[in-house]
This record gives sequence, C-alpha cells and structure tokens, in this order.
Amino acid sequence: MQIYLPIAEMSLNAFMLLGLGGAVGFLSGMFGVGGGFLMTPLLIFIGVPPAVAVGTEANQVVAASVSGALAHWRRGNVDIRMGVVLMIGGFVGSTLGVWLFTFLRGIGQIDFVIAVSYVLFLGIVGLLMVVESIRAWFRSRNPSAPKRKLHHHTWLHGLPFKMRFRRSKLYISALLPLGIGVFVGILAAIMGVGGGFVMVPAMIYLLGMPTSVVVGTSLFQIVFVTANVTFLQSVNNQTVDIVLAMLLVIGSVVGAQIGARVGTRLRGEEVRVALGLIVLAVCARVAWTLIATPDDIYSLGFGGGH
Amino acid sequence: MAAALFPRCCPGRILLAVLLFCAIAPAQRPAHAQSIVADLSTREVAISTGFTGADLLLFGATEGYGDIVVTVVGPERDEIVRRKERVAGIWVNGASVTFEGAPAYYRIAASKPLTEIATARVLSRHQIGVDRVNLFTRSKRQPESILTFRDALIRNKKIHQLYSEDISDIQIIRGRLFRSNIPFPVNVPIGDYLVTVHLFKDGRHVSSEETPLTVHKVGLEAKIFDFAHNHAAWYGAIAIAIALVAGWLAGVIFRRA
Repeated sequence: MQIYLPIAEMSLNAFMLLGLGGAVGFLSGMFGVGGGFLMTPLLIFIGVPPAVAVGTEANQVVAASVSGALAHWRRGNVDIRMGVVLMIGGFVGSTLGVWLFTFLRGIGQIDFVIAVSYVLFLGIVGLLMVVESIRAWFRSRNPSAPKRKLHHHTWLHGLPFKMRFRRSKLYISALLPLGIGVFVGILAAIMGVGGGFVMVPAMIYLLGMPTSVVVGTSLFQIVFVTANVTFLQSVNNQTVDIVLAMLLVIGSVVGAQIGARVGTRLRGEEVRVALGLIVLAVCARVAWTLIATPDDIYSLGFGGGH
Repeated sequence: MAAALFPRCCPGRILLAVLLFCAIAPAQRPAHAQSIVADLSTREVAISTGFTGADLLLFGATEGYGDIVVTVVGPERDEIVRRKERVAGIWVNGASVTFEGAPAYYRIAASKPLTEIATARVLSRHQIGVDRVNLFTRSKRQPESILTFRDALIRNKKIHQLYSEDISDIQIIRGRLFRSNIPFPVNVPIGDYLVTVHLFKDGRHVSSEETPLTVHKVGLEAKIFDFAHNHAAWYGAIAIAIALVAGWLAGVIFRRA
C-alpha cells in the first residue's frame, strides 16, 4: 500500500515503513538504545531526502524516549538536577545545531556533513563497544588481572561553578555536564538522533555518574532536546514529516516491546558486542556512500520558487 | 452515427465531439485561430494519499494536414546544479551553477522527429525540445563549463522523469484528430503548468493553442503541507504533542499487557 508523505513529497509503502520501524524498534528495545542512529541512515538509503530523514527522526525519538523516561522517572532513576543542567546545554547545542544545519543546507553541504558525522561517531562508539566487551570478556576469564580505578581526578575537576548532584553522588563543575549537553545537542540536531550513544558513555566515563541513574537521566534530557530539535526543524526548514514519523512510531513501539523481552534473555557482553558490530556495519555502509564513485557527479538541488 | 463509429469507446466520443465542434467553429472564430483545437482530460492533477503518479490525456483536432508538437512546461524555480569533487578520497559537493527560472517539469511529444518538422532556429524560437529550454544563469564561469552544468541539469531531470522527450507519442487519427498521453511521475512538482499544442505546416509554425493545468495537493496531504509551511511553529508544537502522547500511550498499553 503506497502512501504519499506530504513533507518528503514521495510515495513509500506503508507496510515497509511499519516494518522498518518494527525492526529498528526491536533492536532498540533489545539493546536499550534510541535507534535514531539506525533509522536515519536507513531512511536515507530508501530515498528519503536526508534533511527530512533527520527532522522526522528527531520527532520519532521524542515518542520512542518518552515512555522509557517516564518508567525511569517512576522508579526514581532520574537525577533531575543533572538532567536539567544537561538539558540546558542540550537546548543551547540543539539550537546551534539546527542553525548550523540550515546554513549547511543552504550551501549544499548538509548531506556530506550528515554522512561524515555518522562515520565518525558510529566508528568511534562502535569500536569502543567492541573493544570494551572483548576486554571485559578476557577479564572475566582472568579474575586476577588488576581492576580499573573507578574514579580518578583530572583537570576536569578543577573547573569553577561546582555543583552538588546528590542523586549521582557527585560534586563537580556545572560546566562539565553543560558542555556535554551542548555537544550532544549539536549532534542530535545534525544527525537526527537522541544522542544516547554518546551521552551514556560520557556520563559514565567523563562525569563518573552511577550506572543506575545514567539511562533514566539520559532519556529524560533526550525527550527535551529532541522536542527542541523537532520544533526548530519545523520552524526553520519544514523538514518534519508527521505522517512518516507516525508510521515509524507505531512500528517501533511494538518492535521495542518484543525486543526488550528478547533482550532480557541475552547476556550483557554478547549484547554489547552485537550492538557494537551493528553500529560498525552502519558506519561502513555510510562510509561507502562517501568513497564510492557516484553514478553522476552532478546533482540537483533547488532554491526558491518564482 | 456516433455509436456506430466508436462503439463503447469513451475517449472516441470526446474526440468526435471535438471533431463536430471543429466543423461548427469556423463560422464563429477568426481565421488564424481555426487551425487547431485541443483540450485535456482534466485541468488538474490532484496529489492525495495514494498518489503514485498520473496520466493525462491530451486530445484535439487540426484543420488539414500538419505536424503536431505538444510541450508541457511546469512551474519555474531556481535549480542548483552541484558537482562533486574528490577530496582526499571522499566525494564532496564542490562547484555549483544556479539556473534561474528553470522549468521544474518539461515534456515534449511530437508526431515525428523534430528535425523533420522544422529547422533548429524555428524550434528554438518556440522553446521546442529539451535542449532548447531557456535556462538562465548569472554564473561567471566559462561558457563550456556552464554547458556541462546545463547538460547535467537536463540529464538529472530526465533520470527523475521530470524532463522527457517522446517523439511519436502523438497518435493521429484520420489525419485530423490527435491524442497524446502526458505522464506525471510521483515526484511531480506542484504549481501551474502550461500545455501548448503547436501546429507546423511545411516547416512553418502555423498556430498554437495553450491550455493551463494545475498540479496541487488535496485532502489531508495538502492540509499538512500547507500547515507545515504557513504555521510552522504550531506544526512543530503539534508534532511534539503527538509524539509525546503516542509514546506515553504505548508505555501504558504495554505495561498492562
């Protein structure tokens, strides 16, 4: 059943979109990730204009994160103070990001910047995941190996404007989470993702937050940041396709529930290696679009109507 | 008589009606406008939920023998042609040329190859032929360079089925009636179109008839598109609200299940 997408201005099969949402939802439920980093490149591969894919995905991530954020909120797994600081940074970053997006779109470089961002961040995160999992696997075989220190002081702890984050048991400079929020906000706007795949490692390794509050706090701020991106992309670029977003949301919420049930039966290390490999596969596929010789080195874009 | 000539054939009846109209028309019209009449099966292409492209039927009649050329020109807009360049092994958009007021859609159909109908000069004057479309640019590049960008624009438009040239796609019936299909792909740009039927006799442009055509979105698609462009802030707010409710609802439903 073909359905015309009013903003993307193209016809796609509705069941294919529901299936795509379901498949990505399944993986995101299984691995506990947002899924934006998978969905946006897939949408681009099936022909959705990259700008529409990014704008629409931000909207979908709002829906995908809100139920998780609420569940963690009820269980008290959200460090609200930390979440708010990250969110302020996220607002600044995503606003900057959408402004940058609009500018890059104007000069015809947005597709390129989207692709490069994907290759760079998926490559780094995917490699870290796989390497970390393999090291953890070796450690479990050789328990006598020295353990890593949990908390160590660096220059980051010498920054001013120290704040106490009681829920995370931290006393650190507010500039640190603020900076992380800005950075992830820019990524969220340009890549059409929630940014959890950068935010979660940053919270654990840079901020030293306890893992119990990391996912809830990350989801909490993702809801607000992706909502901001949705709003600004709608206002500046008119690239949010509600029809496309709704089809993906329906597919992904169902897929995520099934995925979450399957995920509980898998071992943590296996899950992390599998996710790392998927991330690297997407990275390689996007990298290929950058290095492969295009069919036609000329392409069309259009300015205003007359 | 109509039923005997065109049994169970609807377009045939329309054609016959046109033919009869031609027979009556000469008494009422000035001499130079008599030689061609044409109309479209519909004056609008409506893009709705199930839109996968559309085919329009152009039909008409001519007075006496002649060659027919049909052009369909879509709304004008600025087309930017970008050339990718390889930088350190990566393909990046480099140089670009903007063509102002280029037709977003251009189709031509003719009763025989254009070179047999008229000379290039005559064809150029009426912008007949994909290669003769007016493409204006302020670019300061070398003319040869601009030409390659122009060729790239036409080539890419053809790939997206937005520019097309179909010689012999006009059927001529009994030397006077003609019909032609005008296909619109799913990515057809919205706006005002002009369908022009040209009549040539012995290499001379005898007359032409213009019929306007609108391509627009209808129904929910049109409302969503207009709302997104005219009330962008509200659209964004509603998109967020829908996503929040959908996510929350999904959580509630699956927690019970």
